[in-house]
Amino acid sequence: MDESALERYFDDSIANDSNFRLVEELGLQSPAPHVEGPTPFPQDSSYLSGKAGQGGVLGEELDLSFLPDDLSTQESTAQAESPNLDVSQDSGIGPDCNSQDSTAANTHQGVSTSGPGTSASPFCPMTPMTPMTPVTPVTERSGIIPQLQNIVSTVNLGCPLDLKFIALQARNAEYNPKRFAAVIMRIREPRTTALIFSSGKMVCTGAKSEEQSRLAARKYARVVQKLGFPARFLDFKIQNMVASCDVSFPIRLEGLVLTHQQFSSYEPELFPGLIYRMVKPRIVLLIFVSGKVVLTGAKERAEIYEAFENIYPILRGFRKQ
Amino acid sequence: MSPPGLRCPGCGSSNIVDDDLYCQSQLVCADCGSVVSEGLLASDPVGGSDVSYSRTTAVAKKPCTNQIKGLQRLKAICRTLRVHREIEDLSQTYYNQAYQHESFIKVSLQKKEVLAGCCVLVSCRLLNWPISMGTISCLLDADPMVVGVVYQAMIKVLNITAPIVNVTDVMEAHSQEYKISSSHVPEELAENSKDLTKRAVALVELAADSWIVTGRKPIPIMMAAVYLAWQSLKPTKQRLKLTLDKFCQMAKVNKHRPAMKRIAEMKEVLCKLGKEIPWVREAVTPDNVVQQVEDILQHRYALLRRALRTHEEALLEQEASSEAPTQISELSEKIPNSSSVEPCEPDAKMAEEPGDEDNNQCVMSEFHSDTQKNQDPTPNWGKRELFAPPCVIHAKKRRVEQPELRDVTGDEEISDSEIESYIRTPREARDFALTQKKLAKGEIEKS
Repeated sequence: MDESALERYFDDSIANDSNFRLVEELGLQSPAPHVEGPTPFPQDSSYLSGKAGQGGVLGEELDLSFLPDDLSTQESTAQAESPNLDVSQDSGIGPDCNSQDSTAANTHQGVSTSGPGTSASPFCPMTPMTPMTPVTPVTERSGIIPQLQNIVSTVNLGCPLDLKFIALQARNAEYNPKRFAAVIMRIREPRTTALIFSSGKMVCTGAKSEEQSRLAARKYARVVQKLGFPARFLDFKIQNMVASCDVSFPIRLEGLVLTHQQFSSYEPELFPGLIYRMVKPRIVLLIFVSGKVVLTGAKERAEIYEAFENIYPILRGFRKQ
Repeated sequence: MSPPGLRCPGCGSSNIVDDDLYCQSQLVCADCGSVVSEGLLASDPVGGSDVSYSRTTAVAKKPCTNQIKGLQRLKAICRTLRVHREIEDLSQTYYNQAYQHESFIKVSLQKKEVLAGCCVLVSCRLLNWPISMGTISCLLDADPMVVGVVYQAMIKVLNITAPIVNVTDVMEAHSQEYKISSSHVPEELAENSKDLTKRAVALVELAADSWIVTGRKPIPIMMAAVYLAWQSLKPTKQRLKLTLDKFCQMAKVNKHRPAMKRIAEMKEVLCKLGKEIPWVREAVTPDNVVQQVEDILQHRYALLRRALRTHEEALLEQEASSEAPTQISELSEKIPNSSSVEPCEPDAKMAEEPGDEDNNQCVMSEFHSDTQKNQDPTPNWGKRELFAPPCVIHAKKRRVEQPELRDVTGDEEISDSEIESYIRTPREARDFALTQKKLAKGEIEKS
């Protein structure tokens, strides 16, 4: 009932004004203020396919290249990901998302992730009728971006492997069955390490970004292939992401553990940092007195950014004592 | 006797007797000998009686012997610490709960003892009785890390959130351990424990305000505070010359190595405040600051305000004077900086020993020069603040990461040559296999 009503509403808007077309596209991807979590909005694909069906006209005129530039006006480096886009991650509009099947993502993948320099669209996202997710005003954002330090991913090569043979034939492999039941292989570029098990499953660690992790995993699979095994590349999945950043002011950990007792654990006799287990998103943060923060446990980059934006105002509260 | 009115079904007589000769009593007719009723065994309900065994016969589940022993050990710990009755009861409850849990029922006996200590610890925390984990580890004679692991597992299992312990609260209990009252040591070196505690608590509070305490282990800090308090209560030459080692020997406590660094850090903070004392003529250095400690502690808030003001003024002056283009100023600042680094290094090498003072002076000059000597562009904010956590002031130089692959899509082409470089040539593989065999043989022959 809701689906059809919403579709009708959007269909009307499209008929009314071409400007709103793109707005609805954006608005639909960020459907309502309260939508959370990575579960894809069920209407997405239906709406998009509906749109495509309405005639190639719309699909051709849709220019999604403006999206990263427009929303990330503050960031100037290529690496900068706007935390704004985390709400649209489930629909694949985010510049880093590379494994969604929606048509929007397909058209978007051609667009490179280079930030500024590409033309800024005159389109203004702040039209009053847009049902957009409320964005934190620029002044409140921290301006600090956590840097990814380590990505752990797994992939299934799909065939049993002879670890002794691999250890013999590969230069960059070490295998000590008495110590650990896997071959430890390393490549130089991207600088990563892989654990390859006899079942054909592999764990790849040490990459600094999701794409690097994927590239590295593919290289390991190629090495195994070249050694004569029918290796494939199945179920690549990022299992954990670790990031760190510095808020540049000291933090009173004792105060923080008092006010956020249910989330924090601070035992200076055991570990100098405070362990903060955030519930939403489910991320563990290690907060140190020097102001350095380590975030871990994320499966998506957006979770890290969201977690940091959540913790930053809390830390600011403990700044001046 | 058989109930009246009962007739034998065989012959009809009413002469029925109770025959108790055999294992079950039977009602037997005296005339014809037929059994009238058989008794319990024959008339047992098929499939067992209606009342279950556990309800009629089984006794209440007793705690196993190890649990009882654990409880006794727990009581002993409580008695040693002389805690309240409530704490003892609460910790016993927790122990019984935790003991039955699957993660603790099968651990070693040593871990179960540690578990007892952890129950006492958590009960003390919940009921506002300050003890540190170090004390418990000492009592149990266990590795503090093991205690920590068991403690964290236990609070997860029992779902407790216990408040953390304030260092100033633990201070009093800690300073009781030091045996330096007049009955133990000569009058010259003796100190009343109340005065000592008071002064040490003031020092710890000052340290907490200036970021020395957060994130650090509390016991070395407390040790440093007691040592400085003891020195400053009667700053005679004899006391000042006594090193931390000898002090700990005298007071019969175990020395903690980090305490040296804490002493140096505390002295640095005291110097920063001591500089602001208006009636002190000479420069306040870590060597002579101990004499000023009493005054500093007494007027510490006023001195703190003055120090902060002076620091702000100094910063403003610096900013005003460095209106010249930043590159030139950075260059000129770098030159005096490098020269100040040089004399620091030989000092640091000479002062390996407890004399952290030299190292300290080095640090002070770094602080005063107020520039950054490392190449990274982000300024070390710790150097601009008057008080900052020591890990920020002495930031470790991080290895600069080479900015590697950027804009990697993950789907790029992988060149064959690159992959080939990771695979051995057939000859290499043969050599490797041969060498491995030789090594393996060599090892077997050796052993």
